[in-house]
Amino acid sequence: MKHGFKFNDNEYDIGLSRSAQGYRLHHDGQAWPFTLQPGEEGGWILGSSAGGRRVIEHLAVAVDGDDIHIHLDGHTHTLRFEHALERLAQLNEAGAADAIRATMPGSLISLAVAAGDAVKKGQTLLVMESMKMETTIVAPRDGVIAEVLVAAGQTFDKDAVLLSLEPQDADQEQPS
Amino acid sequence: MNTQDWPFDTVLVANRGEIAVRILRSIHAAGLRGVVVYHANDRLSPAVSAADVAIEITGETPVGAYLDGAQIIQAALQAGAGAIHPGYGFLSENAAFARAVSEAGITFVGPTPQQIELMGDKVRARAFVEKAGFPVAPSAIEDDDPATFVERAREVPFPILIKPAAGGGGKGMRVVRDPAELEGEIERARSEGQRYFGDGRLYVERYIENPRHIEVQILGDSHGNVVHLFERECSVQRRFQKIIEETPSPALTPEIREKICETAAGIARSAGYVNAGTVEFIYGEGGEFYFLETNTRLQVEHPVTEQITGVDLALQQLCIAAGEPLPFRQDDITSQGHSIEFRIYAEDAAAGFTPTTGPVLQWTPAQGDGVRMDSGIAQGQAVTAAFDPMLAKLIVTGTDREQACARADKALRELVLLGCKTNTSFLRQVLNHPAFINGDVHTGFLDAHPELANEPEVDALTLKKLLATAAAMTRPLRDVADAVPTMHAAMGAWRN
Repeated sequence: MKHGFKFNDNEYDIGLSRSAQGYRLHHDGQAWPFTLQPGEEGGWILGSSAGGRRVIEHLAVAVDGDDIHIHLDGHTHTLRFEHALERLAQLNEAGAADAIRATMPGSLISLAVAAGDAVKKGQTLLVMESMKMETTIVAPRDGVIAEVLVAAGQTFDKDAVLLSLEPQDADQEQPS
Repeated sequence: MNTQDWPFDTVLVANRGEIAVRILRSIHAAGLRGVVVYHANDRLSPAVSAADVAIEITGETPVGAYLDGAQIIQAALQAGAGAIHPGYGFLSENAAFARAVSEAGITFVGPTPQQIELMGDKVRARAFVEKAGFPVAPSAIEDDDPATFVERAREVPFPILIKPAAGGGGKGMRVVRDPAELEGEIERARSEGQRYFGDGRLYVERYIENPRHIEVQILGDSHGNVVHLFERECSVQRRFQKIIEETPSPALTPEIREKICETAAGIARSAGYVNAGTVEFIYGEGGEFYFLETNTRLQVEHPVTEQITGVDLALQQLCIAAGEPLPFRQDDITSQGHSIEFRIYAEDAAAGFTPTTGPVLQWTPAQGDGVRMDSGIAQGQAVTAAFDPMLAKLIVTGTDREQACARADKALRELVLLGCKTNTSFLRQVLNHPAFINGDVHTGFLDAHPELANEPEVDALTLKKLLATAAAMTRPLRDVADAVPTMHAAMGAWRN
């Protein structure tokens, strides 16, 4: 497993090494030499070469945990660093479907279920509000509500866990 | 107006974000003291920094604090404010609040409670406008006879638009093309209307295909004078919310411009309208227009009008509230150049315009000739889901539309917000679309061109630059590279 970045829903394996002047990016079987130095007023200067000529570009960069935000040539991009070990762990992750997450940032309008309730696939779990519109979150499968993590009126970010379902056994136990 | 002549020396702004900052600018230009109320989430906001005094308000939710009229009036009394400017949204079109402000002995910067009730209620406003002899679209109004509302709605020529009677800002509005879906859509619109406006009453009207949204800025004083300050076109919308507004409208001939602006002024005159307001029209491809609604407040998009007329609308609002007559007549108001506003939203256009959140790690507003930025954010703040996702407005002005567009593209390239995804790349794609360049858009333009919301293509070289920069900025990668410097450097490029 290698280090990588997630960008626009794609994953890119990369490596970084030192060169005489700066660094080399190793990606897709190629090494691409570049320099990156701090510029004025918190900006950064990216140096590379194209057609044998040196090219200097100014960019803005900010790092927030594993997110690297880059403003380059009039567009802003966000790349997420993926640690090699975590990427490995994700492959083995199971039971992700047990967490009911917010599909977008918003606030909770009403809850239709409580912990311990049995729910059917497609049953309304809660109504949330985002972008001035109501969105209904439904059960992704049959199950039992394990935990309710939000209260009416509460605001949350995208991907926040709102509810969880009790884990489903791989093999259904027969009632004795 | 002379500072001594003001009937109040302190004005409280009952709002937040960019509009609070913008109103404070006019309060200070008038030589008055500016006070803001703020929720703890906004403690680090530019509005709090720009105010002479900032008073914290609380609520069950952050939005709830800004909707708590009693608490805000208390803050105004505490700060010695003789006037309250409500901005837009929140309490700006709440007649009960305007009345409570007056009853507390404070001047409400806006129309009278009666005018807010009349013009803010779409149903009553529409009936009023129709009776005064101005054009309205075919419709069915629930209040006329609630028992037969669905039947009457079915008789309006489809497609139809369902709207909350007390609504605004596109909330609760739904287009219905198939009569079979009518009842379900009515229920959903009613639920949203009830929740947002505490009022589930609805009305439906014929939905004009490929309509443009044209609105006219109005100013009226308490001496019976009413003027218009020309139109704004706000046809570029997503989900009925404006995102790009401009003046003059590229669609109007001088004759239709005069007709629509005079109609708006006539409607305001009929209502004895006082303070700033906007009369909105739906404009059809054949040049016909119908009254849509009146917004009894300063609009988000007011800056484009200020840029081409040179009139400070927020300052005029204060002067009107102070009882001053308008300092100009209709003939004195001229339009010069072309101005376009772009709303900068914290949202992911490619993901269906869903709101985004995050810290504001870097914020560098655009600068340059003809560039104005009305912004309510600051580095160090966080964008949360608690408030409306509009962060700032870019307003660009040129001698003509072409120059304004060129300046807009440059400004949208240059402004930087890192930490929270915004819609600036999307705005640039709209700006550079042939239909927009030709001024040939309607309110369904974005729905007809969903590809504009796609993430811009990143070419192979740009991808390398991004990955290289990201890698060099990532500690674990840099540490590994720095730990084995010379040997591999001497070997040259190794393959992996």
